[in-house]
Amino acid sequence: MQTDKQPQEETTSFGKIEEAIQVNQTLYDRLHESLVEEAVTTVEEEKNVQHYKDYKKNPVVEYLIRLKQFYQANDLFRYALWSFGLMILSTGILTIVEYDLFSGDVADDIGDTFKFGDDGPNWIDTFFHAFWWSVVTFTTVGYGDVSPATHIGKLLTIIIMLLNFGIVTLLGGAVASVLVAARLKGDDKLDENKFHGHMIIAGWHPAIQSTLRLIEANKDANPIVVLINETEGEIIKRAVSGFERLDVTHLSENYTQEAVLKDAFIEECGTFMIMPDYSGLLPNEHPDEDKTVLTALTAKSISDGIQVVAYILDDEYISHLKRANVNEIVFPDEHIPHMLAKHVTDPGVPQLFDELITQEEQDKGIQVVSIPKGLMGLTHNKISAYYKFKHQWLLVGYAIRKAGFSLEDQMGDSGSPFIRNMITEQLDSAGIKLSSDEHVIVEINPSDNYVVDNKHRALVLR
Amino acid sequence: MSIDAKQIKKINYFSKLPEDMCAKIAKVVEQKKCGPKTRLLEEGDTGDTMILVFQGQVEVSKNMMVKAASGFTMSRKSIIRLETTDPAPSMDPITEPNVAVVQAPAFGIGEFSLVLDDAIRTAHVDSTTDVEYGILKLDDFSTIVDENPSIGSPVYFEVAKAAVSNLATASKDISNLTQAFFFILTR
Repeated sequence: MQTDKQPQEETTSFGKIEEAIQVNQTLYDRLHESLVEEAVTTVEEEKNVQHYKDYKKNPVVEYLIRLKQFYQANDLFRYALWSFGLMILSTGILTIVEYDLFSGDVADDIGDTFKFGDDGPNWIDTFFHAFWWSVVTFTTVGYGDVSPATHIGKLLTIIIMLLNFGIVTLLGGAVASVLVAARLKGDDKLDENKFHGHMIIAGWHPAIQSTLRLIEANKDANPIVVLINETEGEIIKRAVSGFERLDVTHLSENYTQEAVLKDAFIEECGTFMIMPDYSGLLPNEHPDEDKTVLTALTAKSISDGIQVVAYILDDEYISHLKRANVNEIVFPDEHIPHMLAKHVTDPGVPQLFDELITQEEQDKGIQVVSIPKGLMGLTHNKISAYYKFKHQWLLVGYAIRKAGFSLEDQMGDSGSPFIRNMITEQLDSAGIKLSSDEHVIVEINPSDNYVVDNKHRALVLR
Repeated sequence: MSIDAKQIKKINYFSKLPEDMCAKIAKVVEQKKCGPKTRLLEEGDTGDTMILVFQGQVEVSKNMMVKAASGFTMSRKSIIRLETTDPAPSMDPITEPNVAVVQAPAFGIGEFSLVLDDAIRTAHVDSTTDVEYGILKLDDFSTIVDENPSIGSPVYFEVAKAAVSNLATASKDISNLTQAFFFILTR
């Protein structure tokens, strides 16, 4: 009897479930029609704003800005420009004071050839002649083909000669200092404008090549990469060739040094990754992981806000890295026991992990996507429905960036403002941040009424 | 300006007292006047007088050991400014306030001296405008209370209320400071 009854019961319950799904689907559709529309409009609006910003970049304005930056950055260019300006000015004054002399002389000198004036030399001819005299004088060539005759002209000439002497010294000094500076600096400096939100990888590890390949495949990732390690340039070149989107720069320096990290604009970088360094090691040698800890400390001392990801081989270093305030630590050995055990206890789970993690086909596997602004402040079930019915993606959970602890939040409005202000002021002046560093934490499969704010990004299975 | 019962009643500690009692207090209050930048109370001093400010603005500040570029130095930190509204100060304050300005028709400072012999002043009080104020001595006040025991209760109740609220703030301050201390230690 029991066995006969069971299938029937199952059919009824399946029927009920299907009915419920149907009802839910209709409800979701109706509920989220407006929601989806709103969210999509927001996303499109965001795009429009971006276009507008791009359009606003005027090429002439940009060229002028670059010229200004060049002027500010290049000593030689600045001195040359000023010298030329001063020469023109002094020549102009001399032309006005000694106009008769120079205009008479230019008439004798060049006769009928090359005259701007119709009948005789006009002010352009005179000015050019005075300028010629000025250059001949200040380069100490001194042809003597023309010289001022009046006392006042001679007095002015003395001033101009002394002025020119100063200019020549200045210009000569500038040329020398620029050359010396270039010699001291060695390598060319990286172009500051390019490096913002880029990735820096310190140390050389065989995994870098495949890491870069995965980053290359993700169109949203910043394509600027700086590698800092002392591996031979040829090896690096071979490893990073073939990337179309990525723009890789190699600095062959010791990455534990603060100055080197600053040269790679570490303060501006989006991610600073420290790898176990295999530069110059034989195949059976192990990298020195003290360097990883030291580099993490150096980076955090340059700026607390730098997002540091460290790849570590020996678990002994994990506590050191945590103390160095590293944002994320990658320790692959941690996963091995779980993977092995799951093959016994839950066959299929390790395979699922393999599929999810190594899925390299574009737009497949587990990915993190931004949640449209229109959906912020809504509950998990609504956001889940949005991805399900709009994109056919499964919302697995959320990646949340948040500080572990914030003293300001903890203190709130309690106590006297005087004491609170004193605490914040004193910590600030001591360079201590009032909140601990931001880490990414994940919230997997939260309850339906879990509220999502702007710190959340969606973890979706595509 | 002469001190009368109405002015005494404006001060919150005495607001619940009947007019005739306020008049008695007004009689024993010694009237005073000062310009800006006058120190009315000195932190750490002991005193048996309460100051009643009828017109003007004063700044309450504390000496604090703070860390500056040159090392630890003692610095005077403003906590709050108090200002009368009835009447308002006769001039603008000589320095712009960088702390909250709390307004009241009139106010009393050093109120703990009404209950304690030789109460220790917990902060500096300096005038920032011309100030019209009065000084009430503990002895005089005690004599009035001895003669009229009924006025003690409302006044002491207000003083106790102020003390309790100060205590609550102080315990919050201690908890904030402890948190900051652990925050720095665990970095």
